[in-house]
Amino acid sequence: MTELRELPGVMEVCDNLKTTAGCEFVGLAIQNETGPDVRWHYATGNLNDKYKRITVRFGKGIAGKIISSGSTMMITDFPHQINGKITDYPIMLAEKLVSSYAVPLFFHDVPKGVLLVGKREPYVFSEEVQQKVNDSALILEQLLKEHI
Amino acid sequence: MDVKSKQQISSYIIASQEEEIKRIALDLHEGVGQNLYSILTGLQVVESGTKEPEMKNYLHEMTLLIEKTIQEIRLLSVELHPPALTTLGLLPAMKSYCKLYTSTFGILVDFKSTGEEKPIPERNRIAVFRVCQEAFMNIAKYADTSNVKINFVWKEDELTISIRDYGKGFQPEDFEQHSLGLEAMKERMLLTGGRCTISSKIGEGTQIKLSLPLMGD
Repeated sequence: MTELRELPGVMEVCDNLKTTAGCEFVGLAIQNETGPDVRWHYATGNLNDKYKRITVRFGKGIAGKIISSGSTMMITDFPHQINGKITDYPIMLAEKLVSSYAVPLFFHDVPKGVLLVGKREPYVFSEEVQQKVNDSALILEQLLKEHI
Repeated sequence: MDVKSKQQISSYIIASQEEEIKRIALDLHEGVGQNLYSILTGLQVVESGTKEPEMKNYLHEMTLLIEKTIQEIRLLSVELHPPALTTLGLLPAMKSYCKLYTSTFGILVDFKSTGEEKPIPERNRIAVFRVCQEAFMNIAKYADTSNVKINFVWKEDELTISIRDYGKGFQPEDFEQHSLGLEAMKERMLLTGGRCTISSKIGEGTQIKLSLPLMGD
């Protein structure tokens, strides 16, 4: 698969979202062209490069649940009030995130990607911020649709 | 009740749980997994014989979904009880676990083994594997590090394993936060006739040393 981070506009959309949403971290996970694996292709505000090695588990953690369900997810105070074990949320642990909001990216009406924003403190993402993430996800769907 | 009886009861409970875990893992892999694989093959046949593009696309998405589900079932089964632990031994099982660990948490594992691997009774193999697993999970949860070293040293009469992370470490007073898990690791090694020692320093990381006698079982 083409390195998605190299595609014009992808980095710009994520970087802009980090600023406009007032977040500390933005990550983009996409399903591989062949096979069922999903991995994090781009991140900004990352503390380390663990995200590059993480393969998202289907149905597990944030990205896995979003891709399997096609719905959004908000965590306001990790690791409190989460479903399952702490270790089911590798990106939260890897990036020391305490709150996050993530949305699915649809290609041919199927969820195949995730756009996630996060902060390293407890936080409730307002409707305005959620809308910004949704808008960025729509732009990314357009930018990436030829490559998925 | 004396200490020996208590230890025997603990060993019995642990062995029963491991037996049940193994049964569920096998059922998932051989039962559910195999059925899903048959469904996948059937769908691929239908997909290849379908000409209508919309239906072909739909079938393709379904096969991808089943592929993902098969992969997840396989991972769940391996997580519960790695088959390599029974069929190939402790080292191959740990190597395979380390690969899965890196792809799950992004933490790199430097794996070394010196000396010739010796046979270990299954009960002890499982115990050592579970203690290592617990140590790795603690690293993912608390250590804030990108690297772990695990070193196996095989001697004639003893196996020693050292697990070292270069994370933030913890002070003895923070021990309570982790104490149940750490105490369980020590207890489990004691039941095998071995030992588990844990040392940690703020800013320098944590080291866990396991030793297992290889003779007399």
